[in-house]
Amino acid sequence: MLHDVYKSVGGFGSYGMISMIIFIVFFALLVLYAISIRKKDAEDFSRMPLDDFSKESDEIQDS
Amino acid sequence: MENQTFYYDNKIVRNFAYATLFWGVIGMVVGLLLALQFIWPALSFGIPYTTFGRIRPIHTNAVIFAFVGNGMFTGIYYSLQRLCKARMFSDLLSKINFWGWQFIIVCAALTFAFGITTGKEYAELEWPIDILVAVIWLVFGANMIGTIIKRRTQHIYVAIWFYIATFVTITILHVTNSIEIPVTFFKSYPVYAGVQDALVQWWYGHNAVAFFLTTPFLGLMYYFLPKAANRPIYSYRLSIVHFWALIFLYIWAGPHHLLYSALPNWAQSLGVVFSVMLIAPSWGGMVNGLLTLRGAWDRVREDPVLKFMVVAVTAYGMSTFEGPMMSTKTVNAISHFTDWTVGHAHIGALGWNGFLTFAVLYYLLPKMFQTQLYSKKVANMHFWIATLGIIFYAVPLYWGAITQASMWKEFTAAGFLKYPNFLETVTQLRPMYATRALGGGLYIIGILLGVYNLIMTVKAGTFVPEEAASAPALVKRSASREQGEGIHRWLERRPVQFILFALIAILIGGLIEIVPLYLVKTNIPTIASVKPYTPLELQGRDIYVREGCYTCHSQQVRPFRSETERYGEYAKAGEYIYDHPFQWGSKRNGPDLSREGVVNGRQYKPNSWHYNHMLNPQRLNEQSIMPVYKWLISDDLDISTTAKKIRVMQLFGVPYPEGYDKIANDDLMKQARGIAYDLKSQGIQVEPGKEIIAMIAYLQRLGKDVHAAGNPTATISGK
Repeated sequence: MLHDVYKSVGGFGSYGMISMIIFIVFFALLVLYAISIRKKDAEDFSRMPLDDFSKESDEIQDS
Repeated sequence: MENQTFYYDNKIVRNFAYATLFWGVIGMVVGLLLALQFIWPALSFGIPYTTFGRIRPIHTNAVIFAFVGNGMFTGIYYSLQRLCKARMFSDLLSKINFWGWQFIIVCAALTFAFGITTGKEYAELEWPIDILVAVIWLVFGANMIGTIIKRRTQHIYVAIWFYIATFVTITILHVTNSIEIPVTFFKSYPVYAGVQDALVQWWYGHNAVAFFLTTPFLGLMYYFLPKAANRPIYSYRLSIVHFWALIFLYIWAGPHHLLYSALPNWAQSLGVVFSVMLIAPSWGGMVNGLLTLRGAWDRVREDPVLKFMVVAVTAYGMSTFEGPMMSTKTVNAISHFTDWTVGHAHIGALGWNGFLTFAVLYYLLPKMFQTQLYSKKVANMHFWIATLGIIFYAVPLYWGAITQASMWKEFTAAGFLKYPNFLETVTQLRPMYATRALGGGLYIIGILLGVYNLIMTVKAGTFVPEEAASAPALVKRSASREQGEGIHRWLERRPVQFILFALIAILIGGLIEIVPLYLVKTNIPTIASVKPYTPLELQGRDIYVREGCYTCHSQQVRPFRSETERYGEYAKAGEYIYDHPFQWGSKRNGPDLSREGVVNGRQYKPNSWHYNHMLNPQRLNEQSIMPVYKWLISDDLDISTTAKKIRVMQLFGVPYPEGYDKIANDDLMKQARGIAYDLKSQGIQVEPGKEIIAMIAYLQRLGKDVHAAGNPTATISGK
């Protein structure tokens, strides 16, 4: 069915279909990987900008 | 492990920050002058250096590559050192990057003012400067990658992934789109022609937006937003999906700039589908940014940095919804060639890039100068005036765009165009143009307040050129994947492999779209009656490119009844095969010109009309907003380059007879004398060796071959 839908887009044909499949597989693997990351690792990585070892200047701004 | 002490290089960050402010003011003031020329065309001042076609590239390049470019370097040099816990790889490379970039900007401004341009939007720089850009960009890349390699953190943070993608993709885009053969030191022709040139150019043009205006700023968002809010990024998982999906998808979307053009339908469809899909990763990024502020929204009320960031990220969300919407054929049929595109571009430039740049500057300059922002009140004034400026800028352009598109398409009950004179549709927009100029003016006032605030901040503080920091050395780990280590986790500590993966992700889309256009001949059916330009027409075409006529006039009739009724036959791929570069344009401030030379066509005008129009457009049409081009009448045509130009064209396969370069000027003068004679019969005395003659010859050639199939008017000796 999906093939018919894309065939109906002018000039798209199976060429675009292959491109879509490449992306969907790529995207699905990416989502699976993202889900599989350990919660602690994800939290550590998301805090990286806050840990730049130059606290002095931060304190000046926040004071 | 023992801590190592090292020093962040703040001098390079400060220098880029100053350059950002300086070029920001210059670029936007030029933009305001352009906006005012829509209301008072006399503001071209009757000289070549300030005409719309020449200063429009100055404005776009100054804002994109000077203001946003320097802003990007400011943020990257600041955040990269801190995320890698390392000083930049080389101070010398940092300095070469800074001074080389400023030199390029000055060269760009001067060459555009002098009409030295390739005539390709956002890639107007001529070949010597193109080479310089490539060298300086590689210097930046080497410095960045060197810093990542000598980092003290195992993990490469998501912001750096975006910086890497920026470097890799811009290198490929710039080099691919800038392949040109020099004619002289200041003139070259691109190796691509017509449809192929259009696809490569908009693959570049769209992805310059993606990888120069978007990905580096997403990297800055992922660093500075958590810093300013003092909160971790909302979802690291989402950032992974955001990054890879975005860089994979963006590269496919270029053809949406060429909908309803002579580009093969399959390429247009790919552009549409991938553009619509782009909403997902783009909004993923926006949501990730805004949700980072969870629990810190109360601070947005007080902190100007966060205010600017919130509007920037929101503008990013608006632009990335609007862009895909404009990429659907239904909306594009209305929006293309109108001010909608300009409004859309400015939501991105003023809102996303401009506001995020100022957020970054307001954040890091007080830190580097060990002080607080001089005045929150002035920063808040900047914020509100500039926000109002964006609204006053964009809304009238959207209004005007729909008004003009409707007027272009409206028919009377009897089946004729209701507004056959293009000028009627321009006149209708004048109030909108005035409001747009007001919006731009407000935004500049905001910027000036920002500059004042930052100057006072800098004056009040003490600069720390070498900021001390300490961190343990990086523990060496196996180059291969360790037990239980996922591919991405491994990639996140292997910069070279990460670069290769990013390269593969962006190359897939580019290659799939571009290669078939060269390999499958049926993509560009040839038309037997389409012949090469005569030497005089070729010289005239180069003047057309020099004056930036493509910034206001398209050369691409779309297959709509409203367009074929107004201009004539719709565009076909085969008619552009000798166009190095293509000149389709992207905006119609004036009518399409691709059928201008069709005798008895709807757009045809005699030679004398063109002469008088260039001399003083307002004398022919009082409401015209076209600048005067009187120097074309007084300046001699440089025919010393004709032979070289013919030889370069022959190199591209343009079928001029062998040895034609030696006699090309004879043909040129013969055709020029014919036009001068015709003008004389209309009471206009002009020598055949003037530039206006070549310009008229070129304009009168446009569209003739397609309409006079089998009876081409262009003549080449020996054919």
